[in-house]
Amino acid sequence: MKKAIIAAIILGVVVAIAAIASYRIRDTVPTSLKEPPVGSPAPALTLTDTKGKQHNLADYKGKYVVLEWVNLGCPFVKKHYESGNMQATQKKAVDKGVVWLSVNSSAKWKQGNLSPAAWNDEIAGRKMSSTAVLLDETGEVGKTYGAKTTPHMYVVNPDGVLIYKGAIDDQPTTNKDSIAGATNYVLAALDESMAGKPVSTASTQSYGCSVKYK
Amino acid sequence: MLRPRLFLSAIALVCLSATLTADEPSHVKVSLMPEVRTIAPGAPFSVAVWLKMDPRWHTYWINPGDSGAPTEIKWNLPPGFEAGPIQWPHPERIEVPPLVSFGYEGEAALLVRITPPRDLKTGERVTLAAHVSWLECEELCLPGEATVSAVVQTGPNVENDPTRAKFFSEARARLPLDSAGWSFAAGSGRGFVRLTATPPVWLKEPVAEAEFFSEMNGQFSNGRSSWDRGDGAYVIDLPLSDVSTAPARRLTGVLVSKSGWRGPGSERAIRVDVEIAGNTSSLPGPSASASASGLLGAIGLAFIGGLILNLMPCVFPVLSLKVLSLVGQADAPMRARMRNAGAYSFGVLVAYWALAGLLIALRAGGEQLGWGFQLQSPPVIAGLASLFFLLALNLFGVFEVGMSLTRLGGKNAGKGGEGAGASFSSGLLATIVATPCTAPFMGSALGFALTQPAPAALAIFTSLGAGMAAPFVALAASPRLLRILPRPGAWMETMKQALGFLLAATVVWLAWVLGQQTGSDGIAMLLAALVVQAVGAWVLGKWAVMTRSTPVRTAAGIVAAVLIVGSAAAAVKLAGAGGSPAQAVTTETWEPYSEARVNELRAAGRPVFVDFGAAWCLTCQVNERVALSAAPVLAKFREKNVATLKADWTSRDPAVTQALTKLGRGGVPTYVLYSKDASAPPRLLPEVLTPTLVIDVLDKL
Repeated sequence: MKKAIIAAIILGVVVAIAAIASYRIRDTVPTSLKEPPVGSPAPALTLTDTKGKQHNLADYKGKYVVLEWVNLGCPFVKKHYESGNMQATQKKAVDKGVVWLSVNSSAKWKQGNLSPAAWNDEIAGRKMSSTAVLLDETGEVGKTYGAKTTPHMYVVNPDGVLIYKGAIDDQPTTNKDSIAGATNYVLAALDESMAGKPVSTASTQSYGCSVKYK
Repeated sequence: MLRPRLFLSAIALVCLSATLTADEPSHVKVSLMPEVRTIAPGAPFSVAVWLKMDPRWHTYWINPGDSGAPTEIKWNLPPGFEAGPIQWPHPERIEVPPLVSFGYEGEAALLVRITPPRDLKTGERVTLAAHVSWLECEELCLPGEATVSAVVQTGPNVENDPTRAKFFSEARARLPLDSAGWSFAAGSGRGFVRLTATPPVWLKEPVAEAEFFSEMNGQFSNGRSSWDRGDGAYVIDLPLSDVSTAPARRLTGVLVSKSGWRGPGSERAIRVDVEIAGNTSSLPGPSASASASGLLGAIGLAFIGGLILNLMPCVFPVLSLKVLSLVGQADAPMRARMRNAGAYSFGVLVAYWALAGLLIALRAGGEQLGWGFQLQSPPVIAGLASLFFLLALNLFGVFEVGMSLTRLGGKNAGKGGEGAGASFSSGLLATIVATPCTAPFMGSALGFALTQPAPAALAIFTSLGAGMAAPFVALAASPRLLRILPRPGAWMETMKQALGFLLAATVVWLAWVLGQQTGSDGIAMLLAALVVQAVGAWVLGKWAVMTRSTPVRTAAGIVAAVLIVGSAAAAVKLAGAGGSPAQAVTTETWEPYSEARVNELRAAGRPVFVDFGAAWCLTCQVNERVALSAAPVLAKFREKNVATLKADWTSRDPAVTQALTKLGRGGVPTYVLYSKDASAPPRLLPEVLTPTLVIDVLDKL
């Protein structure tokens, strides 16, 4: 018994040393948002939507899920909503059986944070086809996903694996004229994956306004 | 105009209501400023698009960073006029944690060169116009646009506007220099690109902390990278972002430093545009290819290395205690002995797996690490020193806890064998203390292991552990071998105490290593913590013994635990805070290593000998004192005109790690001799040196 305790203590010391060594080393790594790599399981996500309903990513196993980081005051987001491009993309995806979750990570009192009631007005007024708009005021989900911009898009396959992350398309501007002729990476990823093909552009640099974290 | 829906939400936003409106006044004022009053046919001139931002608002550089968008200019010029690209002033880092943008606060002058046609009519007025669009952000972002214009005269000769001379000279000071005598090189490693900047010979002043801004958005993760000064050059490692799928061929951007690139007060930015050389870390090192025996060979070498490790001074005290336990067990049943040997081997293996796993994982994450990396961390050194000091006190008999620490070593003579748990612990301990020693054959096996995929690497580490545990297992398994050992008796207590002094000596050595890493302050803090620990041990030995009443024992136990654990924690924490490292000892004969220096010396026709060592590497210290400082060896170095360089790996140094990786080695000691012929491959020497061996190698030059 006592010997087992000694063994446990020594093991603890070894683990502590290893932990300190790795901590010290991690310490020197430049600090920036850690992003889950494409091909790995999408991080857990449990959030309440604007209608008070809880959504858990794990509940959508078996379906494709698109995550869209949104902030309606951002000029880049406005480009896609005022031209109707984002709503059209949402509709195309949802019609294919995709679950589309728009996520708002603006912290309380920060730009882009809307009350659930204001959001419901926006959803109706803008004719959004999102399955739900999720509120992430703490920014925790945004940070685990490494969401940097609005818009910032993620596609999760029916196995819960991240298959695309990055920009909505290849036109990083606020100019509405750029939408015609743009390559929509999210729809391309969904089409390829649903056809059983690997996603050819699985990771891009997202563009937009910064997410207004706490 | 405002749409009603948007307006509703704007009201809901209360304090942010104004920010969502489309006709919010811009926070950026733009103007077009030609440098000239009069332009001439075919003669290029400069104009500035001048952005003046309200306080706290910013606009973006060509690469905006994590968010944002660069400013764009669409020219509307008379026919035949041509506008060049925007000459971007160097950006500032704008941090809104956890996000980073690259752009401008205050003001920014975007210079553009315009060339009028050769058949320009003179004596007229022409209007230069541009449509400028930008993104301006504070917390909120707004798109901005404006049409700006300026009128200039045409004439036979260019005439500058004297009122703008100062404005343009200040604007140009913010443009990156073109090279100013600096030379740049870039190479790609696993998960990062290394930029090496060599200053011009005439620049004597050091360049303070510099930061690299890549022009390619998303190429690198936007965190800060450290700017390290080597001997002849500066090095900065840029971690690739995980978006960059295809590795870039070129590194294009600007380096920005607070001190100037042509001396203090000169231009703060310099342009970098270089080809990225091939993947240096995946290049097979010479010794990895030499031991083409491959995986099996490496496994064999690792086993032999592990065997020899037992004879190295690091492992000796722990192993001796372990052997003492066997002496006591000579009469115990075979089964009990084998169970102990098995537990010990398992402990050794678990420790190797843990260390190797951590090392492999960190290297996969792009860290520049090699074997022995854990000893490059001052807190680990401080923690080990505390552990050894306590063990020594225990061996001296200062305290005997109910669960005596000596049982790690296994002094438990009479009871027919100690427990498997204690044997497991001593296995762990033996491995931890073995890391500073490198045995012959280990270097090339570990170097090979670190270039292999994880399963192969783990197989090699497992073989190393098996080799290290083998003698003990053999001893336990063979009664005949056991009989050679002396009978148990009082001498064992004496021997135990003697071994305590060995451990105390180890503490001295660890304190010295800590001094190399953190300076004398670090040593003082460690020693102070050890004194407090000694007090704790003394309390434990005096009052927490069976002869005292239970309350006294409990109180003493608590006091001792607080003292011991608290001081150990303080030592670890303070060592982590660190002081300034002691200056690397360089003498006339040994100068500090850098790759550039090696190339320079070889170009000058001198062979170069490099000693890769570390203060925590005992084998290195022995080699340096026994072989490399011997008078005949030094004489031979002089005779052959060999330049001697020392690469110090006591603390983490990516440049040294990369050099070791290139040589196919995963750790120190490594000794390498470069002949003056630049095409000849470097020659690696064995891990354990003797004067004759070094002289022989030098003679073959």
